[in-house]
Amino acid sequence: MRFFKDLKAGDYVILAITAAFLGAVWYQLAFQINYNWDWSGIPSFFVYYDEETGYQQNVLLIGFFNLIRIAIYSSILSVILGLGLALMRVSDRRWMNWTARVLVEFVRNIPPLVFLFIFYFFVSDMIFPVLGIRAFAQMLANSDSAVVGFLFGDRVFVENLIAGVICLSLFEAAYVSEIFRAGIESVGKDQREGARSVGVTKYQEMRYIVLPQAFEKTVPPLVGQLITLIKDTSIMSVISIQEFTFAGSEMVVSSGRIFEVWITVAVVYFIICYALSVYSRRLEIGRTGR
Amino acid sequence: MATSSLQTALLRNVKDVVIFLGIFGLLALGMLWVLDQQSYDWQWFRLWRYVYIEHDGQYYAGPLLRGLFTTLEISAYAIVISAIGGFVIAMMRASKLITARAIAKTYIEVVRNIPILVLLFLIYFVLAPVFGLNRFWAGVMTLAIYEAAFAAEIYRSGIEAVPRGQKEAAKSIGLRPLQVMFYVTLPQSLPFILPAMTNLMINLVKHSAIVSVIAIFDLTNEGRNVIAETFMVFEVWFAVAGIYLVVTTILSILASVIENRTKRFYAR
Repeated sequence: MRFFKDLKAGDYVILAITAAFLGAVWYQLAFQINYNWDWSGIPSFFVYYDEETGYQQNVLLIGFFNLIRIAIYSSILSVILGLGLALMRVSDRRWMNWTARVLVEFVRNIPPLVFLFIFYFFVSDMIFPVLGIRAFAQMLANSDSAVVGFLFGDRVFVENLIAGVICLSLFEAAYVSEIFRAGIESVGKDQREGARSVGVTKYQEMRYIVLPQAFEKTVPPLVGQLITLIKDTSIMSVISIQEFTFAGSEMVVSSGRIFEVWITVAVVYFIICYALSVYSRRLEIGRTGR
Repeated sequence: MATSSLQTALLRNVKDVVIFLGIFGLLALGMLWVLDQQSYDWQWFRLWRYVYIEHDGQYYAGPLLRGLFTTLEISAYAIVISAIGGFVIAMMRASKLITARAIAKTYIEVVRNIPILVLLFLIYFVLAPVFGLNRFWAGVMTLAIYEAAFAAEIYRSGIEAVPRGQKEAAKSIGLRPLQVMFYVTLPQSLPFILPAMTNLMINLVKHSAIVSVIAIFDLTNEGRNVIAETFMVFEVWFAVAGIYLVVTTILSILASVIENRTKRFYAR
């Protein structure tokens, strides 16, 4: 085999070490912990068959759909907020620049978990009742329409989901704004001066000259940020939002299949994020290749 | 000189300063108004006993400070392990051996594409029993493994930033590959590596909050405990966020000092 011809002495050492490591893990699992592997139940944690109603989605699949919902809503909201912050950062008015900067630095310098704890409590327990969003969420939850079910999943958690999405978006917006700012600043000065000299207004300059060029440059890092966002949705499980990691821990408790469930959860996250990162890399190669 | 220039800068931008302060004043007022609507009871005076305890003229660390020490302890271990581990992985990625490259690449891709929380659960629930790690070390290893993948990328880009000619010149005067790496490439890549590494360290301190999920009593978890005991939700979370901000700010000042020193050292 060609493969073995290419291996050098060092390769065999590394292979031996890896094999020894995996062997040790296997030995510990099989003989010290006596863990009984049982993967047979895992598919039914996603979809199970019911005699009366046919195929039904189970906890993990519901969690997975919630993860997708949260990721889509948050990415849209955080891109809008982030663009706003970025425009403030590059503004000629200093107070805008300072305000955006303080907000961004504040978010970037406290742990995501602490940010989520502060804002989730503030948003869901304080702002929602005052602004009447709680009543609105309850109205949605009580309505029977299929659209609400499609958009928010389980009706009981509508308010929960909205609050979580807002918190995550506020958090990610700080990072998205830095991406947009870099994109806007990368547009050459001559472009802007050229625009000014033909007499377009500041708004037109931003809208027709700077932003189109900036957006093109920001696509690959934005996809990278989307990966981070998807990974960050997992910490929402800590504030009891029913997303994928939360579903995983629920399934661990109810089935007792600790190893299998956590490995499955990790694999699903890996597949989503790895696919996106391959896509992001391809975008980047496409750009530089031109 | 510095203060006078600051003064003139402030005077020149009076309008901007006023609007800037006005915005944050309004934000604070709005928040207070919302909390008032929910009749939130501010009790800042009760916070101090959770930061430090005075007993017979002696001062002891309260829960929050003890939590901070745990956070710093975990971060310190994780920083050392991830700096070394990241270096090993970077060396493996740059190696000529196929298996070394494959293992390093797999490691980086796997770690970078699963959430740190899921990694924590994997290590705490799956690997910790296998290797007999306790909670504390499961937390340390999670942070170390997670950040090592990023550290490896930093080392790699630092090494790649050194001009090729340097390596070729070193090879042509007869240095062996390891000598080229340690005497020529690495010393020159240090100015590229250090700023990114200090940034990574700051990130690690922030990410360490995640270990509160497996009941390690770090700053975040102590904060949650104090809240469960006293219901001072905002006071405690603001205090916790403030402590994290102070720590990260001190670290970033230290980072810029180190950066300036290395720059000056290399400029000589």
